[in-house]
Formats: sequence, structure tokens, C-alpha cells
Amino acid sequence: MSENRKMTCPDCGVLMNHHALKIDYTAALDDAEAIDPDLGGIVEEAHTCPACGKTQLRRQAAETGNE
Amino acid sequence: MNTSRPIFIPVILGTTRQGRASENVAKFVLEEVSKREGVETLLIDIREIPLSTLDAGEAIKDAKFSETVARADALVIVTPEYNHSYPGLLKHVLDTNLKEYIHKAVGVCGVSAGVFGGARVIQNLLPVLRELGLVTIFWDGNFAGAHKLFEADGKLLDQSYVKRIDQFLKELIWMAKVLRYGRENISLE
Repeated sequence: MSENRKMTCPDCGVLMNHHALKIDYTAALDDAEAIDPDLGGIVEEAHTCPACGKTQLRRQAAETGNE
Repeated sequence: MNTSRPIFIPVILGTTRQGRASENVAKFVLEEVSKREGVETLLIDIREIPLSTLDAGEAIKDAKFSETVARADALVIVTPEYNHSYPGLLKHVLDTNLKEYIHKAVGVCGVSAGVFGGARVIQNLLPVLRELGLVTIFWDGNFAGAHKLFEADGKLLDQSYVKRIDQFLKELIWMAKVLRYGRENISLE
């Protein structure tokens, strides 16, 4: 992951570490356009702050091939 | 690793049933966790989490429970075995969170009146915990004949459980430290 796609901790302001992906099948029921066609659900990234331990989820951006 | 924050390991008492033998077990485990240097703990009694049964999942999150689990590095779940499985209300509580669990350690203490010490509830709970994103350790607590293990005042009668839980907690704390380091420092890509 490039540095400009890293999340910033809303509490500490430091860059967070992206350490997991999770498929959300339930959210996909309400947002079909966001479904990854290969994985069958919406892919969410888990990011954790190395300073305070806070974890945040965000939807994975579509691959652009530009990074 | 950020060592300025203590490892936080709450103990979840996973039943609301009146006369629950698991309460003595949970309090015993809580006391053993609290003896560990550099580890904080507290008891989460699911009886005290006011969840609606008119809905389920993240829609009915309890803020206090979510904040506690979000801060946790690991969980101990103390659960009785009801009809070979886990209490429905324990599952109801666990299902209200998701991101709070990802890449955190969990150990399970099974409690039963019979001789198997909750072995079957543990086996049935493991796939649930895995899907939630938790990482299970390979030590379990097995409390067989639970109604005979404690005096009326909650004092443990069989001291062999102290050594067993010591091994269980060593493994859990190790896993909690490794996973905290991983969450905060090891990138997926």
C-alpha cells in the first residue's frame, strides 16, 4: 500500500497500519455496486494506530493500477 | 511494540441464567488475570448489557461494551455448556461488534455440570470466534462438575485449576502481545 493511501488516526494524527481485510456480505445487500465481483461482498480494510491502538474500518478502494 | 499501554484482557461472563455456576469460574479467572504484571482486566457480565432482542448485530451496539472490546488486546470468554452449545444471549452480545475484534486473541473457559468441562461448547464456539476476526489460542479452560468446584462463598476447592489457568493465561498473554505488535506494525501488503 502506498503511503498516500494510509489512514490517519483520528485521535493521534499518526499513520495507521493496514493489517486485515474483511468481506462484508450484509452491507452488500444494500449496496450492490460496491461488491467486489471476484469476492462476492464489500471488502473492508482494518487499520490500527501504532500509538493508541485504535482500529478503523474503511471500504477498499478499487484498484486503479496507478500505484 | 508500544509498551506504554498495559495489555488489557477483559473476562466475559457469558450467561445470564439464575444460579449460574460460571460466575464463580469467571471471578476466579478474573482474579488470576489481575495478578499478572502489566495486564489490566475487568469483568464483563452479559447480564448487565442492555441489548434489545427486537434486532441483532451491529445495529444494537452497546457503547460501553464496544468501547471495552475496542480497547482490549485479548478476551477470556467464560461460557457454560447449554445443550452442547453456547448460550444464545452470549452469541447475541458477541454479534454486536466486528472491527473491535479483528486480530485480537481469545481464550475460552468451558463450564459444565458434567465431566467434559464444556469441551463441546468450546468446539462449537470456535468457528464463531474465528468469523468475528478473533484469534483463538490452543489452551482451553475446562471446568467440569462446576457446582462442586467452589464453596458457597466462591472459594476454589480444587487448586489444580490454578496451574491450569496459569498455562492458559501465559499462552493468551503471549498471543495478545504478538497480535498487538502485528496490528500496529505489520502491514498486510
